[in-house]
Amino acid sequence: MAVIEAVELRRTYRTSTGIFRRRAVDVEAVRGVSFEVGKGELFGLLGPNGAGKTTTIKMLITLLLPTSGTARVLGLDVVAEPREVRRRIGYVFGGDKGLYERLSALDNLRYFAELYSVPPRLQRKRIADLLELVGLTGRENERVEGYSRGMRQRLHIARGLIHDPEVVFLDEPTIGVDPVGARELRATIASLVAQGKTVLLTTHYMFEADSLCDRIAVIAHGRIVAEGTPGELKAQVADRTVVEIEAFDLAEDGIARVRGVPGVESVSVDERDGRHVLLVQSPRGLELTQPLLAALDGTSVGRVAAREPTLEDAYVALVGGDEGAR
Amino acid sequence: MTSLRIFFVGGAIAYRALFNWISPWLYIPTMLGSPLFQILFFAYLGRFAGVEDDAFFVVGNAVQVCGMSCIYAMTMTIANERWFATLSPLLATPANRLALFTGRALPVIANGLVVSVFGFFVGWLFLDFEPAAGSVPALGLVLVVTVFSCTALGMVLGSIGLRARDVFFAANLAYYLLLLFCGVNVPFDELPGWMQTVGSVLPLTHGIEAAREVAAGEPLSSVTGLVWTELGIGVLYAAGAFALFRLFEAEGRRRASLETL
Amino acid sequence: MTSLRVVWGGFRFHVKTLTLSNFFLLTTFLLPAIFASIAFFLVEAGGRPGTLLYTALGAGMMGVWSSTLFGSGGAIQWQRYQGTLELLVATPSPFLLVLLPITLASATVGAYSLGMTLVFGRVVFGVPLDLAHPVALVVAIPAMVIGLGFLGLLLATTFVLYRYANALSNLLEYPVWLVTGLLVPVSLLPVWVEPISWVLAPTWGVRAIRESALGGHPWSSIGMCLVLAALYFVLASFFLRVFERLARGRATLSLS
Repeated sequence: MAVIEAVELRRTYRTSTGIFRRRAVDVEAVRGVSFEVGKGELFGLLGPNGAGKTTTIKMLITLLLPTSGTARVLGLDVVAEPREVRRRIGYVFGGDKGLYERLSALDNLRYFAELYSVPPRLQRKRIADLLELVGLTGRENERVEGYSRGMRQRLHIARGLIHDPEVVFLDEPTIGVDPVGARELRATIASLVAQGKTVLLTTHYMFEADSLCDRIAVIAHGRIVAEGTPGELKAQVADRTVVEIEAFDLAEDGIARVRGVPGVESVSVDERDGRHVLLVQSPRGLELTQPLLAALDGTSVGRVAAREPTLEDAYVALVGGDEGAR
Repeated sequence: MTSLRIFFVGGAIAYRALFNWISPWLYIPTMLGSPLFQILFFAYLGRFAGVEDDAFFVVGNAVQVCGMSCIYAMTMTIANERWFATLSPLLATPANRLALFTGRALPVIANGLVVSVFGFFVGWLFLDFEPAAGSVPALGLVLVVTVFSCTALGMVLGSIGLRARDVFFAANLAYYLLLLFCGVNVPFDELPGWMQTVGSVLPLTHGIEAAREVAAGEPLSSVTGLVWTELGIGVLYAAGAFALFRLFEAEGRRRASLETL
Repeated sequence: MTSLRVVWGGFRFHVKTLTLSNFFLLTTFLLPAIFASIAFFLVEAGGRPGTLLYTALGAGMMGVWSSTLFGSGGAIQWQRYQGTLELLVATPSPFLLVLLPITLASATVGAYSLGMTLVFGRVVFGVPLDLAHPVALVVAIPAMVIGLGFLGLLLATTFVLYRYANALSNLLEYPVWLVTGLLVPVSLLPVWVEPISWVLAPTWGVRAIRESALGGHPWSSIGMCLVLAALYFVLASFFLRVFERLARGRATLSLS
């Protein structure tokens, strides 16, 4: 039985636009997301900002009701049995807020220990162990208002584990954390799986998903556009070549012409320091450099290089590449 | 029984976390200093206007100043969850909602009692107020019920604060409106009819009337009707506050409305 | 004179900011209306004749003081919270010139409360609005605002050092209302209170306004407002230099 099961989850938000004549606008944040996570897996939900990751995770942890579709955690329906689900899951989200600033880390943990019904005789040891796990031992009596971003993040994780949940949900856990701190956090996350827990992680950092996750689902514009192990996802673009073209004063019709070159699978445009970098993906073996440059006739072109695709290219192709397809 | 622990232990921790004036530098001027002068102010106003006596104003105001805790602190102890963005983690827990919500009221009620008792003491010390012999226990009971009922109003405001933005504006206004509508300073019979109607459904009105009678020497048995009414009002407000809280929680799940600050 | 421009510019800015805030609505309109109502009911119930206008003016002044008090204390606290207090202290303009517009604006905005209480009193409680010396009143009001504005300046300088300025603001509302005889004549209070009232601007401010409206000699009270304003300014400059140095030593300028 899958530990986490999402079936055709959808979530629509109703917002209003305009100041004088308020019109109701429906925004579909999640448009039919389905996936399964098995026991002991570290599953990654990878996608750019606004893709629907946080909305999806909030539905799974019972904080948001799906507009349609179902989700089950440990066999329990998140809509019908929220309390039972809450008892068994831990939830960690990124950010500076979400902690009681005036209290110490210890008090924050004690409070949530009560809320999660951790037996009093177990609390002390559990809290001490968790502080050790996240590297906050010695600083637990300081008020949270003096904590750095990385420390807060670690405290969030400790809090998410206070009741020793079987399933842990992490929403962008390393966002805004310095590289060294982030690396330590990832090691901690990996250790959770080693303990037998099931972990679902959302992130927009490619390398994080690549290095940590057993399986990844790539989500963009509210839909899952690819699913598989990191290796499988890379293989999706393994048979491709990426041509990087540096262009100056690139115009819209230039990009359109490049897209129109036969054999081109996807084009993404990156803007760096006032110049554009085109990443053109095409099947391996197809020599497209000449047709591409011809398509860009009239635009000043700088560096041109062909290379092997990386997971980032796979991601970009999956996430950005379906701009035209929409 | 984890709900009991959430009620007592959790309630106390939440109070410490969310009550803004907990440092002594803030507490003493705000919770004790301000009520002291409020009582003096209105007692002198009463003397100037030639209305009633010191005891009237002392009892009325000493009871009402519990609002410093019951209105302000109670509103903070609920609505500040928004400020700290701790509402999500809180609602993600399986904790019993009733214990979670009402547990916070306990420290607030205790605090309110402290403030009111201090008010009575100040009135006795500086003004012409002397509770009738043997009336103190009865007065204490009336006070407990009234402080509870005022806290319930604070709970309603706190719940509203989970959704509305400027709830402290409303809390301020509520504190001062109580001065006008509940017979705190203006004898209830002197108020126009519509104001009396409003006042009779607010906390404090019946409790203050009972407190005045008891302080003047009437036995507790003569004010039981008033005390029960006050208690009933408190229970109704508290139930309403909890209902609002659950409503907002459910709405938050449906419309993601609780996240917006 | 650039100093004057700095002050005038700041003054206009702060009047605008204050008028648009919710809190202003509360302290200048709603709360004075509540206090005025309580006072009117009591005065009518007690059957003390001819005190309605007296009371109305006093209740209005209560609002002016609240606005000045919270505007001045709140200004420092707000700067601290925004993290801009340090920046202001570091500017080339004397800090006093940065503070003065804030406190003057607070007093000015508070003056709305006077008008409002009179209108409210007239409409709801039938307060008679016969003014004895209207010309003097026109002078008395700005004089009162200046007096209070500079008292606010003096207060603001102490708040620079004291982290919990807002709590102190709460504490100074009722006492000043009492001691300056806004609703209750100072003669009803213990004897030792009277000298304290003489050094507080609202005492003379309310006297100036009441004597203009009800009859008396407003010009000496108007004069006292201005004399006190000058005194406050001198004291404020002195304290500010001392407190600034202390605050920088103790590093309390930045904590919010």
